[in-house]
Amino acid sequence: MKKGLMVIISLVLLTGCWDERQFKNVKLVLTMGFDKGEDGGITETVSIPTIKRSAEGGSEEKVQIISTEARTPLEARNNTDLMVSESFDPAKLRVLVIGEELAKDNIYSVLDEFYRNPTNNLNAHIAIARGSASEVLTYQNTSDTRISKYISGLLQGAVATTHATGENIQLICAELFEEGEDFSLPIIEVDEEKQLLRFGGMALFHDDSYTGMDITANESIVFMLLQGLKGKSARLTHKVSDQHENERYNHVTTNVLKLKNDIDIKPEGDTVSVEVNLALKVRVVEYPADHLQEKKTIDELNVTLSEEVTKDAEKIVAKMQEANSDIWGIGRQVKAYHPEVYKKLKWSETFPEIDITPKVKVEIVQHGIIY
Amino acid sequence: MKPASQSINQTAETIKPTNNTKEQKVSRRQFFYILVQTQIGVGILSLPNELHAVSRQDGWISLLVAGVVLPIVLLILWLIAKRYEDLTFFQINEKLFGKWGGRAFSLLYSCYFVSVGVLIVLLFGRMISLWVLPNTPFWVMAVCIVTVGVYLTNGGLLVLARFYTMVSLLLLLLITLSFYSLQEAHWMYLLPIGESGITKIILGAKEALLSFFGFFVSIVIFSRVEGSVKERFKTMLQAHFFVTFFYLLTLIISYTFFSTKEITFVPEPILYMLKSFELPFIARIDLFFISMWFVSVATSFTTYLYMAGQGLKEVFRLKTAKRANVFISLIIVASASLIGYDMTKMETFTKYVIQSGFIFTFYIPPFILIVALVRRRIQKERDEG
Amino acid sequence: MGFIRRLLLGDHEKLQDREFINQNDEPEYPSSTKLADNVNYLMHEFHNTNDLRIRILNKGNASLLYIESLVDQGKIHETIFRPLEFNEVDSIGEIPSAKHTLNLEESIRGLLKGHAIYMEDGRKTIAQFAVTSSFNRSTEEPQNEKVVRGSHDGFIENLMVNINLIRRRIQNRDLTIKYYKLGKKTNTNVALVFLDGVTDPELIQEIETRLNYISSDMIHSPGYVEEFIEDNTKSPFPQMLNTERPDRVVAAIMEGRVAIMTEGTPTTLIAPSTFFSFYQASDDYNMRWFTGTFVRLIRLTSFVIAIGLPAFYIAVVSFHFEVIPDELVIPVKQSINEIAYPPLIEALVMVVIIELIREAGIRLPQPIGQTIGIVGGLVIGDAVVRAGLVSNLMVIVVALTAIASFVVPSNELSTTLRFLTFPLIFLAGTLGFIGITFGFMMILIHLTRLESFGVPYLAPVAPLRFKDLKDTFIRVPIYMMNKRPRDSRAVQMEAIGPSREWKQIEKSSQSDEAGKSINQPDGGNNKTDK
Repeated sequence: MKKGLMVIISLVLLTGCWDERQFKNVKLVLTMGFDKGEDGGITETVSIPTIKRSAEGGSEEKVQIISTEARTPLEARNNTDLMVSESFDPAKLRVLVIGEELAKDNIYSVLDEFYRNPTNNLNAHIAIARGSASEVLTYQNTSDTRISKYISGLLQGAVATTHATGENIQLICAELFEEGEDFSLPIIEVDEEKQLLRFGGMALFHDDSYTGMDITANESIVFMLLQGLKGKSARLTHKVSDQHENERYNHVTTNVLKLKNDIDIKPEGDTVSVEVNLALKVRVVEYPADHLQEKKTIDELNVTLSEEVTKDAEKIVAKMQEANSDIWGIGRQVKAYHPEVYKKLKWSETFPEIDITPKVKVEIVQHGIIY
Repeated sequence: MKPASQSINQTAETIKPTNNTKEQKVSRRQFFYILVQTQIGVGILSLPNELHAVSRQDGWISLLVAGVVLPIVLLILWLIAKRYEDLTFFQINEKLFGKWGGRAFSLLYSCYFVSVGVLIVLLFGRMISLWVLPNTPFWVMAVCIVTVGVYLTNGGLLVLARFYTMVSLLLLLLITLSFYSLQEAHWMYLLPIGESGITKIILGAKEALLSFFGFFVSIVIFSRVEGSVKERFKTMLQAHFFVTFFYLLTLIISYTFFSTKEITFVPEPILYMLKSFELPFIARIDLFFISMWFVSVATSFTTYLYMAGQGLKEVFRLKTAKRANVFISLIIVASASLIGYDMTKMETFTKYVIQSGFIFTFYIPPFILIVALVRRRIQKERDEG
Repeated sequence: MGFIRRLLLGDHEKLQDREFINQNDEPEYPSSTKLADNVNYLMHEFHNTNDLRIRILNKGNASLLYIESLVDQGKIHETIFRPLEFNEVDSIGEIPSAKHTLNLEESIRGLLKGHAIYMEDGRKTIAQFAVTSSFNRSTEEPQNEKVVRGSHDGFIENLMVNINLIRRRIQNRDLTIKYYKLGKKTNTNVALVFLDGVTDPELIQEIETRLNYISSDMIHSPGYVEEFIEDNTKSPFPQMLNTERPDRVVAAIMEGRVAIMTEGTPTTLIAPSTFFSFYQASDDYNMRWFTGTFVRLIRLTSFVIAIGLPAFYIAVVSFHFEVIPDELVIPVKQSINEIAYPPLIEALVMVVIIELIREAGIRLPQPIGQTIGIVGGLVIGDAVVRAGLVSNLMVIVVALTAIASFVVPSNELSTTLRFLTFPLIFLAGTLGFIGITFGFMMILIHLTRLESFGVPYLAPVAPLRFKDLKDTFIRVPIYMMNKRPRDSRAVQMEAIGPSREWKQIEKSSQSDEAGKSINQPDGGNNKTDK
């Protein structure tokens, strides 16, 4: 009994010691941006929403945006902490934006802190800012949503329409470290004229830095399909003929229903050749020229579409090779299936040189509710 | 009134032994769960990384090798236990090595169990401090787990067995959580198979054997388990293969989720992996995982505490092990607090415990078996002569 | 013929009244032939209490004694004076319904039971007449254990009526009742009710032993008996089920358990009881088994909610706010941002307030009780949030916890659960999730260690017995509960034989009919009717 009493007393006395972090005393940081600073340092920009609850139960929200210069991200956090009331906590970070310049330099130096400390949120979206991250974060959006919600919504939308991979901090980690595997990150641009943020395609990475080469927003659908990824919808628009005077009649828009991709790696002596096969089953969602009941039309369309998409794919592959960004992880696959070949190769030098032939086969399987 | 009640009292006394939980045997199912819960514990989080350090992505092959080899040791233990079916391990010692020799032997074993207990407390404290409560002093964590251990052990083996069986439900939960992560698996990361070579794989297997140390409990409680000798051996094997399967699952999941390079940076892959998942109603599954893992650690710890307590009870001829348990746990808290979060001290300590673990669980049992065989032969000759 | 034979053989054994209390233990005081001595002795023994009425009859040669407050005047007239008036007997002492004794001590016990005693000068024999008055309330459904479907009667304060309710439900010669007189001063009647042949004899002996050890002046409620005989008093968990429902007691007896009933209280104790028996309600067996299972599961979840929810909330907002999903972060932050006190204090305040409201509500008359509920629940709850003392999330959490604790069909367990919230709140406030796990583990270990009359308290989960899980987490259809659960220690396991064989027969006959359905057109109709 005495023991129990002692335990209870000590519990009461000890309560709130050590590791307590009161949620109400924390400044939540939902969006964070890093830019290249002077002398190899960085600039950290954070947006901190402060919520005030009014007596009537409603609430108003103020957003504070703070930029600080420092040598490392955590030093920057310390500096920021000196400027805000209460303490600053990125445990619920939603979006991490990295400036173009910094990304070209190296991104792991920024991310290390996120991987190392257990309270950080590895689920946060990660994106590259065209220009600087602080520009993206300080952008005053006209709609009243938080910047974190705006950017994460934008990125999720891009994933749903097969424009971007849903990369978060954790998911790129494997590719960051692994030889013979690279990754791409979505780009966010500020559209000054229209006062909007915009998804600007995918930035190709090699090892831990941005190559400067992009897959544009229009190309990115095929880019995703080539990786075997598909969101909720994947709409491709292609020009299929020159017959009609009205330009719009010459185009068809299709939605990919099913895809099958297959990367075929053949070792050839000291090098490898790669064949990327992509089979798409699509539904026509827009085709003003109509008459899809005729098998001939469909067959013709299938052929032209296949050619068009293959052309796109070739362009993308060329870009990837130029950027030396092995998104498919071909190098890792060579290492896994043909280790003796891989040992002989210096992969990062070999990748731009190898033969990669994309072959796309499009097949129309549906045409909507009219012919 | 009084005389009547006294007479009834006497009858009640005669009934008591049948009700006494201490004397009852544990069922084979409970035996299974004791074995499983003792082995799956503090090591599971760091196992993938440790194996990877030796045999890289072929760690899982190492584990399989260890899993296949270990039944030989189990067989040795069983052969010893079978000979003295109703004696506990410590009593067998006395029988084989004489009164004082046996006691000294049992005392050594108890010390080994205590040191494993200390190691478990240390690893647990470190893990909690790394992942959940960085500022909480070490002794708090040590007291927490030791309290659970003492309270559970003092209930007796039967309570231990019941509790283990009940909390094994959590294993199911852990397995489900792990399967959830298979959607992010890159099977390619397991390839090329056999890259690290046979020597490395064998070395890894040695490393993997560490995580099976807990099987030793099977001989300590062997005499307290229901069923024929053969049935009990079958249960031992089943438990062993279940544990192997469980380890294999964790290994494969961590090796397919993390790239070969990445995993070298991540000491606790499973936790790290769960950290990046988010369920719609709850984020940060790792925190829940580690809370559940606490239970697994507590059960392993309790088994070692139980074994050490039983050893002391036998050595000092105590009536119950309760006092011994409290005494041992005080020692454990004290010595664990001496080491605390100090990484270098802990590494040295871990090294010693692992070495003595190999000696006590792998090298000595064959020796005991030989002694037992020789003794029997002498006995036979004496009988014939 | 038989009579003559018996007369000849001399096999004439005189039967005597059965006494359920061992006569040898009772003190004896022989009556004297002098009436005055007898009366004086009684007067002295009763300390001249004023409600002891002495009516002198027969010109001072006889007297009728009774305790005024215990007897029914009408019955005295009926049983004693009417036979005289109608000249059925010559003297009161000869009335056939009288019970005779020579022991004055026995007559004292009789008087205390509400008997009237008749003594004559010059005769030692004392005649006793049962003229007890009893005031019984009706066997209404107990307020605290209502059911929607099923029987609507309940035990009352009279032991005989209560046993009557049980006997009416179990018309079986094996139903055995053992009386005990407990309480050295109060002499309270206690009855042990069990089904011989089903109940484990060792269990009965165990309970008897424990009952015999009771040495107390007073036994006035089942709580007394409970604390005297339960296995572990240092446990917050009740180890015997309390109920006022005859159907529940009957079900327990039929499972092989023992019911302990006390005079003067409607509450019956059932031993042994397990943790899960507190989660079973009579209603479960009157529902469809799907819904029964569903309700069971909800109740058992409520156990976790009741003891763990506030602790979980505290751990989340003061230790691990990372676990709040993204969509909820801002709303939660909004709600707790400007609360003055730490969540631990918030929770304690709210939990205590709820307990206050509950406690105030119980004792007050019903109309005021409702007012308390409204004032306490609605007004205080709303005002406290508006004042910014407590966050509205905390109000939700604490209210949910209270509701969850009331879901348990047993009142004792419900109190226990609300009590257990506190240590967990403190643990969560000290160590976060680790503290909660620690607390839950300690509770679970405690439950595993507990035993109720030799039965593990957590049976059939620990020790695990899959077969008996059919009436814990789930409730399978009744015909499938064909074996008694192990945790009742029943010696006869079989409870229900194959009871749905007709289904097989019907099926086979139906398939027969399918062949010759033209011959028997009404075969199909039968099926639809049923």
